[in-house]
Amino acid sequence: MLNDSEAKELLTFLTLEMRADVKSQATEYILGLTASRDGCRYLRTKTDFLKALLTLTADKSVAIVKDCYHALINLSADETLHQALVKEADILPTILRSLLDPEYMLSDRICTILTNLSRHEKTCKELFQVLQEQDIGLAKIVEIFCTEGYNKAASLHYLGPLLSNLTQLPETRQFILDKDRCVVQRLLPYTQYEESVVRRGGVVGTLRNCCFDYVYHEWLLSDAVDILPFLLLPLAGPEELSEEENEGLPVDLQYLPEDKRREEDPDIRKMLIETLLLLTATKRGRQILKNKNVYPIMREFHKWEKDPHVIAACEKLVQVLIGDEPEGGMENLMEVDIPEDVQQKLKDLDAKEQEQLEKEQQELLKAEADNDRPKSQPSEELQR
Amino acid sequence: MASLGQQGGEDSDDGMDEFMEKFKTQKYKNAFNESSWEEEFDKIPMFMKNAPEEVDPATHPELACIQSIIHDDDRTPEEKAQSLKDEGNEFFKEKNYKRAILSYSEGLKRNCADADLNAILYTNRAAAHFHLGNMRSALNDAVSAKKLKPNHLKALLRGAQCCLELRNYGDVLQWCDEGLHAHPTDKKLQELRNTANKKKREAERDARKAKLKEKQQRGEKEALLAAIKERGVKLVRTTKPTRQGSDSEDEDGDEGRVTAGMADMGLDGLVSQEATGARVFLDDSGALNWPVLFLYPEHCQTDFISAFCETSNFLDHLAVMFGEELPPWDTDRKYLPQNLQVFFEEFRGEQLHQVDVSAPLSTILQHSRYTVKDGSPCFIILVAGSSYSKQFLSGKKVYWLK
Repeated sequence: MLNDSEAKELLTFLTLEMRADVKSQATEYILGLTASRDGCRYLRTKTDFLKALLTLTADKSVAIVKDCYHALINLSADETLHQALVKEADILPTILRSLLDPEYMLSDRICTILTNLSRHEKTCKELFQVLQEQDIGLAKIVEIFCTEGYNKAASLHYLGPLLSNLTQLPETRQFILDKDRCVVQRLLPYTQYEESVVRRGGVVGTLRNCCFDYVYHEWLLSDAVDILPFLLLPLAGPEELSEEENEGLPVDLQYLPEDKRREEDPDIRKMLIETLLLLTATKRGRQILKNKNVYPIMREFHKWEKDPHVIAACEKLVQVLIGDEPEGGMENLMEVDIPEDVQQKLKDLDAKEQEQLEKEQQELLKAEADNDRPKSQPSEELQR
Repeated sequence: MASLGQQGGEDSDDGMDEFMEKFKTQKYKNAFNESSWEEEFDKIPMFMKNAPEEVDPATHPELACIQSIIHDDDRTPEEKAQSLKDEGNEFFKEKNYKRAILSYSEGLKRNCADADLNAILYTNRAAAHFHLGNMRSALNDAVSAKKLKPNHLKALLRGAQCCLELRNYGDVLQWCDEGLHAHPTDKKLQELRNTANKKKREAERDARKAKLKEKQQRGEKEALLAAIKERGVKLVRTTKPTRQGSDSEDEDGDEGRVTAGMADMGLDGLVSQEATGARVFLDDSGALNWPVLFLYPEHCQTDFISAFCETSNFLDHLAVMFGEELPPWDTDRKYLPQNLQVFFEEFRGEQLHQVDVSAPLSTILQHSRYTVKDGSPCFIILVAGSSYSKQFLSGKKVYWLK
């Protein structure tokens, strides 16, 4: 690492007024530092460098600006850097302003930084606060996300995972699930957005997190929102169901054409099923899902699915759909009190199941080693 | 008015009495006519219940006067536009939408500089058009209003409503989303959006269902043609097929040409001449069932069997038809099943072939000289050895069964 005098000298090179070639080499060097964990940690105490990076994002040279953003992305991926970036270097107001600009060419990089910063609750809260202070608010973020072609140069797909991360906070969930507004309804169609798995995953993650609040379930399943078809469509396939089964399905799932394809990403499939499972927590929710013929869809899905983790989730859901109603006093599964020893037993069973699933997945991956089928990477940006 | 007396007391009473006496004898000037006073009332602007369609200065001088005050040329365009708007609104309240539109249009023609006022004029005119059912005009006006005032709620609502009536559900969503951007909690916008969303998805489902049905029907038709071709049965069409039922058979004809390879045939050739529209079909056991015509030239009678299964034979049918009771037209009582002979006529020429009544229909249809005409096999029935039969068959080339 640099000693103090070298650092001081380098800092002087990182100004807008500096000669282009010197600036460029200096930023490249910093970028190189951010590529390693030690480099990042070193920069944690060097707030001046972070501020310089921020300043240089306004540089005339696109190459320099790109390097700065690249460095910021790397830094934001490391949680220990968050306080330095947000509090001391105060990067948020600047980059948020640029995000709002429909002509700003590097908005996609900003989205990535924001997604990284929002991953953990502490910084997420701070980001939320800055959004309020800067008078931007969630409404604007959702608006930009849902406006096709808002920015001609940037796809803004990473706003999806950002939203998903923001739903860690109850304030975000409240905003998205506001009955007096039309927010969640605007997000629903994106569960089928073919052009970007990132956007899709972000929206599904958002919906899943929102479904932890079971007081909203009945509203979500009602006509006012009608969340069910949007969760089921990615899981439904081209198999022809009988006329009877079709007529009992939600309108969007009836008579699907023979070229209907299911969601390609197994992580997203799993999240969709988890969301459905969450919706079965209440008695009313279970009734609705049973009445709307969710079972035949999951039956066909189960025949088609290969990934062991997803199959396990599917089986859990099917279990609830075809199982008996729980006895009195336990109708709301989220409010049931589980005694200590049972909790421990369940934990152990879960751990064993995970082991087994891991094994099966390894075997599956080996078997597919020669196939073209794309393997899913757990995305860094997706919320836990 | 009579002058009151200067004295007080009884004198003024007298004056009053005198005054009142006059009414009994003299009529006051400019009185209303007793019989037509209601009509005359209606002519006074203050007491008019409805404004006349046309204001003719000759018949309604006062009204014309008032109108010219309203539309005085000395006022500013804004003022004129304002009062034209008010005028339009009055007509609108009375549900006189056509007049309302005229007033609003006049208001817009003033080209005043007040964008808000013009936006309102456009919006109101859009509403009037909407109530008359002129959706396109209403939509155009809503668009114009929106251009002048992008967040005008009433214009946004009206635009969305027009698109809903026109069934452009995608456009409804766009209008609503634009509206909700400025008015996020407006219930009407949310409701419209919800309705359009639902209708859009229902329409998509209906399209999918129709497509699936069409595919199934095509599949069935292809299977049918394949079965016929497989058996080597020849088809010919002599008459233009009548359009029957909802499926468009002319289109199928084109596809049939491709699939069955029967020159310009397809299912057009299978439409029966009979008005019943009966058609050959494949039953559950995979057998073809044909609509068959029996001709009895002796008595100019016909019988129609809507579904003659290819595995059954003529004897089966004849036994049923002529077994129990003979038909009323058989005056000679000679059409007994065992006496009947069945023939088919070749498509070209008058050659007749006798048919083996114990053979299944499929065999007969496969006869090298047999062609199914217009989708309905027909056969001639004669009584063996009868004088009519001899007469009928003379002069024709007949191929008898050995």
